[in-house]
Amino acid sequence: MKNTIIYLFSLLILVSMGSCTDEILETTPYGQSTSSQFWRNAEDAVAAANAMYEPLTNEDFYGHAEHTFDIPSDDQFRAGDHGEDQAIESFTFDAGNPQLFYSWRHKYEVISRANAVLINVPGIAMDQAIKDRTLGEAHFLRGFAYWRFAVIYGGVPLILEADVLTNNYNKPRASTDEIFAQIESDLLQAAQLLPVSHGGADLGRSHRGSANGLLAKMYLYKENFAKVIEFGNKVLSGPYPLAANYSANFRVETQNNPEVLFAIQSLEGWQDNTHIIYTTPRPWGGWDFHEPVDDLIEEFEEGDPRLDFTVYKPGDIVDLGGSRGPTEYTSDLSSTGYHFRKYSSWRAQGGLNMSHNNPIIRTADVYLLVAEAKIRAGQNGDMEINAVRARSGRMALTNATMQDLIHERRVELAGENQRHQDLMRWDKAGIVDIVELYKKDLGPLKPPRTFQRPKHYLFAIPQREIDLSNGVLTQNAGY
Amino acid sequence: MYLKAFWRRIPRSYFIVFGSLPILLLGSQGIQANSRNDIFYPSPSGLAVAVSGTITDENGEPLPGATITVLGSLQGTVSDLDGKFALSVPDGASLVISYIGYKSQTISVGTQAVINVQLQQDESSLNEVLVVGYGTQEKKDVTGAVSSIKGASIQNLPVSGASQALQGRAAGVNVVRNGGAPGNQGSIRIRGTGTLNNADPLIVIDGVPAGSLNDINPNDIASIEVLKDASASAIYGTRAANGVVIVTTKRGDFDQPLQFSVNGYTGVSNSIKTIDVLDAPTLAQLKRERFTNDGLAVNPIWANPAYQTQRTDWQNELLGQGTTQNVDISLTGGNKSSSFMLSGGYFEEKGMIRNSGFKRLSFRINSDHKINDRFKIGQNLQLISINETAPNTLSAQTGVLWSAIRFHPGLPVQNPNGSYSSSQISGEFGDINNPIFTQATQDNKNTTHKVLGNFNAEYEIIEGLKVRANFGLEGYVSDGYNFNIKVNDQIRASPRNSLSRNYGEGYSVLSEYFISYDKTFLDRHTLNFVGGYTTQTFKFEGFNATKLDFIDESFDQRFLDVGQTLNSIGGGKGYDALASYFGRVAYNYDERYLLTATIRSDGSSKFASGNQWGYFPAFSVGWRISEEDFFSNVGFISNLKLTGGWGSLGNQNVPGLQYLALISSGRRYSFGGNQTVGAAQTRVPNLGITWESAQMTNIGLDVGLFDNQLLANFNYFIKDTRDMLIAPPTIGSVGTAQIPNQNLGELRNQGLEIELLYRKTVGQFFYSVSGNASFIKNEVTKLVDGNFIGSQLYGRSSQEISRTYEGYPIASFYGWRTDGLYQTNEEIQNDINVAADPRRTNGLIKPGDVKFLDLNRDQVVDEKDREVIGNPHPSVVYGLNAEFGYKNFDFSLFFLGNAGFDIYNADRMQGIDPTYPFNMYAETADRWTGPNTSNEIPRMTTKRDNLNHRTSDLFLERGDFLRLKNLVVGYTLPLPLTQRFGVSKARFYVTGQNLLLLTNYSGMDPELGYINNNLQLNVDYAQYPQARTWTIGTTITF
Repeated sequence: MKNTIIYLFSLLILVSMGSCTDEILETTPYGQSTSSQFWRNAEDAVAAANAMYEPLTNEDFYGHAEHTFDIPSDDQFRAGDHGEDQAIESFTFDAGNPQLFYSWRHKYEVISRANAVLINVPGIAMDQAIKDRTLGEAHFLRGFAYWRFAVIYGGVPLILEADVLTNNYNKPRASTDEIFAQIESDLLQAAQLLPVSHGGADLGRSHRGSANGLLAKMYLYKENFAKVIEFGNKVLSGPYPLAANYSANFRVETQNNPEVLFAIQSLEGWQDNTHIIYTTPRPWGGWDFHEPVDDLIEEFEEGDPRLDFTVYKPGDIVDLGGSRGPTEYTSDLSSTGYHFRKYSSWRAQGGLNMSHNNPIIRTADVYLLVAEAKIRAGQNGDMEINAVRARSGRMALTNATMQDLIHERRVELAGENQRHQDLMRWDKAGIVDIVELYKKDLGPLKPPRTFQRPKHYLFAIPQREIDLSNGVLTQNAGY
Repeated sequence: MYLKAFWRRIPRSYFIVFGSLPILLLGSQGIQANSRNDIFYPSPSGLAVAVSGTITDENGEPLPGATITVLGSLQGTVSDLDGKFALSVPDGASLVISYIGYKSQTISVGTQAVINVQLQQDESSLNEVLVVGYGTQEKKDVTGAVSSIKGASIQNLPVSGASQALQGRAAGVNVVRNGGAPGNQGSIRIRGTGTLNNADPLIVIDGVPAGSLNDINPNDIASIEVLKDASASAIYGTRAANGVVIVTTKRGDFDQPLQFSVNGYTGVSNSIKTIDVLDAPTLAQLKRERFTNDGLAVNPIWANPAYQTQRTDWQNELLGQGTTQNVDISLTGGNKSSSFMLSGGYFEEKGMIRNSGFKRLSFRINSDHKINDRFKIGQNLQLISINETAPNTLSAQTGVLWSAIRFHPGLPVQNPNGSYSSSQISGEFGDINNPIFTQATQDNKNTTHKVLGNFNAEYEIIEGLKVRANFGLEGYVSDGYNFNIKVNDQIRASPRNSLSRNYGEGYSVLSEYFISYDKTFLDRHTLNFVGGYTTQTFKFEGFNATKLDFIDESFDQRFLDVGQTLNSIGGGKGYDALASYFGRVAYNYDERYLLTATIRSDGSSKFASGNQWGYFPAFSVGWRISEEDFFSNVGFISNLKLTGGWGSLGNQNVPGLQYLALISSGRRYSFGGNQTVGAAQTRVPNLGITWESAQMTNIGLDVGLFDNQLLANFNYFIKDTRDMLIAPPTIGSVGTAQIPNQNLGELRNQGLEIELLYRKTVGQFFYSVSGNASFIKNEVTKLVDGNFIGSQLYGRSSQEISRTYEGYPIASFYGWRTDGLYQTNEEIQNDINVAADPRRTNGLIKPGDVKFLDLNRDQVVDEKDREVIGNPHPSVVYGLNAEFGYKNFDFSLFFLGNAGFDIYNADRMQGIDPTYPFNMYAETADRWTGPNTSNEIPRMTTKRDNLNHRTSDLFLERGDFLRLKNLVVGYTLPLPLTQRFGVSKARFYVTGQNLLLLTNYSGMDPELGYINNNLQLNVDYAQYPQARTWTIGTTITF
C-alpha cells in the first residue's frame, strides 16, 4: 500500500513536471492580429481604411470640440456651459486652455492610421481599384488632418511614414509652409487615386471631388488663385451638382447627395455625432451650444429661404416627434433667441435623430471659393456666385464684389465652421479689418473683443503638448 | 481530546493584535465544546467524584474568576475570591483550567481530591508560528519582516471585506480607502507605493495565489501574515515586489469534539458630514453679482422668483440611512484521522446612497486527513457569490454626490406632477441630471460567482523529509448588467433605452510540487530546506451584448430578448502563465544565529521569448542577542533579536502581449447609412519588455522587556524599484494608440516601522495598549528624459492636478503658488509678478482676483510658473489599539491616523468657482466684494480672465486625521447561566465604526484614495464618503 502511494505520487509529479514549461508560457493574441499577420488582403486594407475615419467622430474632434474654433466669429455666441470657451471666444485664452488640446491627439490618430495604410497597403496583392481607393483615402485624410492643424496652429510636427518606421514622434514643428506642401502633395495624390464618386454602400468615403474641393480651398489660403480656379472647376464640372434644395444637405434622408463632397458620417446607435446634441436647445434634449446672434440673422436677405434651414427662430414650429410632436420654438429656449438648425433632425418616435452627418465641404463652398479667387484675381466671379444664389432664389448679381462674396459665404455656410477662418484670411489680404469687426458690440452676450494681429491668426499650441515634448515643441508668437 | 489551537475559534478568547506581534492576551483557553452526546444528555452526576482546590498565579497569588471545566462536557465552575473552587466530576475526567492572559492547563483528575494549579502568564508571542509561504516558521526564528494579524481581532467588524479590517493593524501595511461605497476594499500598499503600475500585493489564500481579500468571508480567517521585506517574500519572487499577504482560513483539529457556532450582527450607517452649499436665494444673489461685476446683463433666470425659494438639500436627499447585516455559522470537529471546518455566511450592506449595495454569500469547507502516519491529504474549498451595485462617485461631471452638491437648491426633488425636476430649464443650471432621479432609476449590478479551492498531499519519506503537492483552482463567472432607461427630461438625455450584459469567466490553475527537509543535528544545528516547482495558468474569456429600444421598461422586460435593435456584441479571450522554480534554506545555530537564503526563478508569458525569465535571490541573517550567555544577567530584557537582509523581487503585473503590435477590429464608422467596422493598431509594441524588479534591504530589531509585557519591533528598510514598467509620457503626435509599458523608471521607498505593545493583567482586570507607525518616504529617482507622467484631468475644464516627476513622490500636486487676493487696482498695477503680463495691461486682472506668483521671475504669470506644490503621501501612518477586559466585559478601541500629507480639494476648487453653472459652497457667500472683504474667496465673475480657480495652493489642505475606526463593547454571559441552555458560550456586543474624526480637512472625508492607478492620490472628487456605523450582534457557541 505504502509503495503504491509513493509510486502514484511520484508518477503524478513527473507527469506534471514533464509538461513543458516553455509550452505553458506560450501565448496567443486571441481575437486580435499582430501587424505582421495583418495586411494580408483587400479585406484587411479596407478595414484599415475604414478605421481612419473613426477618430473624426470623436466628441473631442468633430463631435463638438473642433467647432469651438469658430466661436470667436461674429456669427455666434458660444453658449453652453464650458467655462473654457469664454476665453476662446474673447481671445483671452492662454496655452493651458483645454479646448486647445481636445482634438490634437485625434487629429494625429487619423494621421497615424493613414500612415499605417500608406506603409502597408502598397505591398498587398489585391484588386488595384480598391488598393488605389484605399491609398487615396489615406492621402486625403492625412491631408485633411494636417489642413486642420495648419489653419488652427500653423506648423506642427510632421509625422509621415518614415517617422512611424523609425519611431520618431517627438519632432520639432515643421514650418507652416512645409505643412501646406504636405497637404498639397497628399491631396494631389488623393485626387489621382480616388474614384470620381461612390455608389450607395460607399457613400461617405472621400472621393476625387473631396480632394479637389479641399485643394481649391487650400490654394485660396495660399492666394494661388489660378490653382483655386483650376481645381475648383474640376469639382464644378464634375458629378457634384448643387442639390436642388439647400435643405437637402442638412436632412438625414438626403445628406449624402452629390453636393456634399465630404461629410463626417453618423449612424444612430452605432457611431453617433454628438455635435447634434451640442447645438440643440436644452429643453429639447440638447446641450445648448453655438447660438447664432442677431448680427448673423440680419445678414440674410429678406425672404432668403436659407435662414429657415440655418436657424431655429421664435415662431418656428418644429416637429419633435413622439409625445411632443409639433412644438413652437420660443425665444426663451436660447439666450440669443436662436439656435443653429443645420445639425438637428428629429425621430418620428421622439428625440434627436443621431444619424445626422457633419458636413465638411460642399460644392456650394467650392463655387464660392472659385468666385472669390476670380474676383480677387480681377476676373468675373458672377457665374459661380450666382449659381449658389440661384439655388436659393436670390437675385443674380452682376460684377459681384468681394463684399457680395463675403455676404454670400456668410449666409450660405453659416454654422459650418468657416467664418472665423474666412475673416482671418480676408484680414490678412486687407479685405476686411478683423480687429474692427471683432470690436463691434454685438450685444451683452457678444461684447467687443480684442483681436491682436498677428498673434490671434493662430491659436496657441497646447501647453500640455509642449510640456510632454520636453521643450521640443515651441509656442506660437505672443503666447 | 486536546485543544491545540482551539482558541482560534472560541470567541471568548481575546487577542490583541499588534503588528507583527499578535499576542494571545486573554484566556487562551476557552470552554471546550461537548461531544455530541453531551449536548443533549449531560453527564449523570451519580458517578461523581468531588474535587476542590486553589488556582494561583505564578507568584502564588490567588486568581479569582478562573474557569474550571470538565473536558468534553458543559460542567464547570469559577474560582472564588480566594481562588478556590469545588466541583463534582465524573470518574476519569480531566479538568481544564483557564484564565485570561494565562496559559490554560489540562489536568487529569485521577484519584486526586485536591488539585492546586499554578497558571503561567502566556508569553506565546515568541513561540507563535507564522505562515511564511511554502511552510511555517516560529516567530523567534524569523529573520525577515513579517506582520501577523489574528483573525479574532478582525471578527465581526461591520466591514464588507478583510482589507478594510486590515487598515492600521500593522506597520508598513497601508490600506488606502478609495471612498466608502459598499464593497469598496481600497488599495493595500505594503511599504509604500512601489511602482507606477499595479502596486497591489500578491494575495495567497490557503496556499493559492488568488484574487483579492474581498473574496473571502472575514470571519473565516484564522490569520493574515504580511510578508514585507525581500527575504520573507522572495519565495513568491515573481509577484512579491509589492509584498505578499497570506491568508490562512480556520481549520478543524483532530480529536476535537464537534462545535457549532452561530454569529450574527445588524446595524445602521449614516453620513458623517455634508458640504454646506448656498441656499437658493443666496445662490441667485451671487449669480446676479457675477453678471453685474462683469458689466453684463443679468440672465433673467436669476431674477425669476420661481427659482429663489430654497426647496431641497440635495445631499440630505441623496444620503440616507444604510444598513449592514451579517449571519454566519460554523461547524468544526475531528476524529483521530480526519478533521474539518464547515462555514456558511451571508453579508449584506446597503449603502447610504440609495441603490448602492454589496451582498456576499459564502460557503467553505476545509478538511485534513491522515491516511497513515506518513501520508496526509487536505483540501480547502470556498464558494462565494457577490452582488454589487456601485453608484458613480468618481466623476466631476456626472458623479451623484458631486451632482448633489451642485444641483439647483431651488428645484424640488419631484415636480407636483411627479416628474423629477431638471436642469433643462436653463443653461445656467448646468449639465447635471437630478441626482435623486439618477439614483432612483439606476439599474446596474455586477454578480460574481467564485470558486477557490485546493487539494494537497504530503508524504513523509523519512523523518523530516517530506514531499508535497498542491493543486489549486480559482474560477469565476461574472455577469455585469446595466439597464439605462429612456431619459428625455434631463439634460444628459438618452432618447433610447439600452441594456448591456457583460459575461466573463476565468480559471486559474495552480500546480506545485515541492520537498521540504527539517533536521536538527549535533544538538545545535537546525536546518530547514524547501524547494520545488510551480506553474500557474490563467485563462479568461467573455462576451458582451448591448441592445437598444425596449418598448416596455418594466423590470420583467429588461432582458436582451426584448430589445429591438442590436447595438453591439463582442467577446474575447486571454491567457497568461507563470512557471517557477524556488528554494529556501533556513539554518540556525544554537537558537542564536539565524540564516535564511531564498532563490526563485520565474518565467512569465507576458514577455517575449528571451525576456521571459527573471531570477530573484534573497538572504537574511538574525542574531538572538538575548540567548547569548553574556546577556543572561540583563534581567529586564527578555528578548532581543537583530535581523538584517537583502533581496530582489519581481513584478510583471502589467497587461500581456505588449511586445506585439496588435491590430484590433471593432473601429466603428458608417458608409451610406450602413454599419462598417474598421481595424487599427491599438498599441505601439515594446519588443524588449521584461521584469520590473525591486531590491530591498531590511534591518530589524525585536525587543521584549519585563517578561515580554512590553514588546517592541523596529524595522528600517530601503526598497529600490528598478526597470519600472511605466507607460512613458507620450507626445500627442503618436495619436491615441496605447503606449506600452517600458522598463524605464526607478523609484525609492524608504522608511521606519515601529510596533509597540504593552499588556498587563491585574486581578480580574486586564488591559493592553499597542501602537504601530510607519514613516515612509516615496521618491521617483529616475524617469524618462527628466519628463513627468501626467494623470487623470479634473472635471469639465480638464485641469491637471497631479504629476509624477523625478525627484518627487509619485502623484505630487502640481500647480501655481498664490499670495491671497488683489485688494485694489493699485496693488495690481504695482505687482511685480504681473509687471509684463499682457493680462494686466489689457485690464483682465481685477481687484478680488487671485494673486498668482511669478516663480520664474519673467514678470508674467503663465504655465511656466507652476511647480510641485504638495505631497499626497502621509509621512506617517499609524494605528492605536487599546483593549480592556474585566470579568465578563470586554472593550476595545481602535484609532487610525495619517499625518504629514496634503489633500487637493478639487471639489472645493470647483465649488467656489462662479464661472461654472452650478451651485456653490456656502463659504462663497464670504467672497471678495471690496477692499479687505476677503483674501481667500475670489470675486464673482462669469469670466476666466485671471483663471482664479486654476490648480493652485489655494485649494491645498493638510489632510492629517485621527479617526476612531472601531469601538467594541462585549459582554459574555456567565457560564453557569448559559450551561443551563446547553450553550457553552454566549457573547453580545456593540460595535461602532468611524465614531470620531479629528481633522482640519474641510471636505467630507479625508480618506480619498487612489485614482488613475497610482498616478493620483488624495484628490477630492466628492467620493462616496465613509459612513458612521453602529451594529449589535451576538455569538453563540454550542
